[in-house]
Amino acid sequence: MAGLVEPGRWKLWAGVGLFAVVFIWSARGVEASLFRFIEGLPLLARIVVLMLVPDWSWAGRSLLGMVVSVQVALLGTTIGMLLAFPLAFLASRNISPHAASSYLNKQVLNLIRTFPEIILAVFFVAAYGPGALAGMMAIGLHSTGSLGKLYAEVVETIDPGPLEALRAAGANRAKVFWYAVMPQVLPEFLALSLYRFEINARAATVLGLVGAGGIGTIMVQALQFRRWEIVGMALMVIIVVVTLIDTASSALRRRLV
Amino acid sequence: MSSPQIELRGVEVHFPGGVQALRGVDLSVQRGEFVAIVGLSGAGKSTLLRTVNRLVEPTAGSVWFEGEDLTAAPPARLLEVRAQIGMIFQTFNLVKRSSVLRNVLAGRVGRLSTWRALLGWFPRRDLEIVHGALLKLDIQDKAFVRADVLSGGQQQRVGIARALAQEPKVILADEPVASLDPPTSHVVMRDLRRINQEGITVLINLHFIDLAREYAHRVVGLRDGQVVYDGPAGEVDDATFEQIYGRALKSDDFRGLDAEG
Ligand SMILES: Nc1ncnc2c1ncn2[C@@H]1O[C@H](COP(=O)(O)OP(=O)(O)O)[C@@H](O)[C@H]1O
Ligand SMILES: [Mg+2]
Repeated sequence: MAGLVEPGRWKLWAGVGLFAVVFIWSARGVEASLFRFIEGLPLLARIVVLMLVPDWSWAGRSLLGMVVSVQVALLGTTIGMLLAFPLAFLASRNISPHAASSYLNKQVLNLIRTFPEIILAVFFVAAYGPGALAGMMAIGLHSTGSLGKLYAEVVETIDPGPLEALRAAGANRAKVFWYAVMPQVLPEFLALSLYRFEINARAATVLGLVGAGGIGTIMVQALQFRRWEIVGMALMVIIVVVTLIDTASSALRRRLV
Repeated sequence: MSSPQIELRGVEVHFPGGVQALRGVDLSVQRGEFVAIVGLSGAGKSTLLRTVNRLVEPTAGSVWFEGEDLTAAPPARLLEVRAQIGMIFQTFNLVKRSSVLRNVLAGRVGRLSTWRALLGWFPRRDLEIVHGALLKLDIQDKAFVRADVLSGGQQQRVGIARALAQEPKVILADEPVASLDPPTSHVVMRDLRRINQEGITVLINLHFIDLAREYAHRVVGLRDGQVVYDGPAGEVDDATFEQIYGRALKSDDFRGLDAEG
């Protein structure tokens, strides 16, 4: 009986069909084939083996490069925090002085976030020359967008009760902000910023590939000369330091919220 | 009769969207009174209380405090008057993750200059007042505890301590016991009675008629934004409440007996 066939079943099959078409189309676009994958495997294995025997004479330089990358992440995150702070309040529906300000600032934050750090780094390297300064600016700008959006969400979920209590006690806007808003948002802001710092520490290592300083600079040079043992050394330093940062930072975050 | 401490003259409140919460309310309260405002949910009790300190702006009529037309007061003066009027809330309205001490200190910032408030630089006297408020509500041992670890009754006492820290002339209480259990409700009501006996006027929204009868001097009945009853608490009987509510009384109109007698 026709009634036994679930209505809308055809939609599922149409969806599967559409996905298959898009998949094949994409595979052709990237010229993916099983043959090419297998063909590349031996070379890939050789590279991995070379990297597994790192050149320890580069340990010191790698570590110094990584220190610069962490500094880039630290400064970039701080810039992001400072710029995101006012923007988040202006963008929030509840604290913003005007509905238009909320809308406008939300759009600004969205626009900033559409640029990946690496693209921003390319621009800043072009404008300010290669080096960590460009990396710091790229991370700072991108973090402004992402932290601003997250901060604004925190601001929009605060309990309005304490604000009313402070207003009732005769507090002006500045006092209400300081005594009812800040204590509610600050721990959350700090936790989000620490999380952003973890992400930025990873991003900062990559930015050197486009000339924005840090350990990425060592990697891009080693790659040019196919010095896989140096790349391996740099990667090892990255993995160790990033793991340390993640562990410390998430322990701190747990204490905040 | 002496001039009233608080006076509402023909106060109306229209909210954007068309709701009229108050329809020409006249009310005068003498210094030292303990007035319960009763009425069903939606009658306009919270709105009435908030017109007294102009957290809600009347759309018509005027509000007077100690002979001064508050509705005509400039913003800075309004803040000065608010600092003399404590307010406590059904949901306590504490900063949950701040300490009890910081929450009670917030009661002092209204009178502090903005820059001192932002620096957290409270005069010695302020700290003494706050300490006194904590002692009075018996929460001095909780001063450095986060507000959200306290029980509901303790949180409300922090709310009362914050209001007392203002050294207020009046306390406005918006259903302060609605989220507490019966015994705790009586503890908080007795706190308010004690504060009233020390000379502070209490204006309290209640929807439990037994609490209104037991603790208030005077009952004001509100229905659909209008005062439909105003008389001494001793003269109010169940029939009066049925008239204010416009329906027969139910068991949840009563908070219940005070366990401690
Ligand atoms: N901010 C507001 N905006 C629109 N309507 C409101 C607002 N506050 C209260 N009201 C409405 O005004 C009426 C009275 O509310 P309220 O004063 O809170 O009554 P009560 O405290 O007696 O329950 C209700 O119909 C309520 O929905
Ligand atoms: Mg109410």
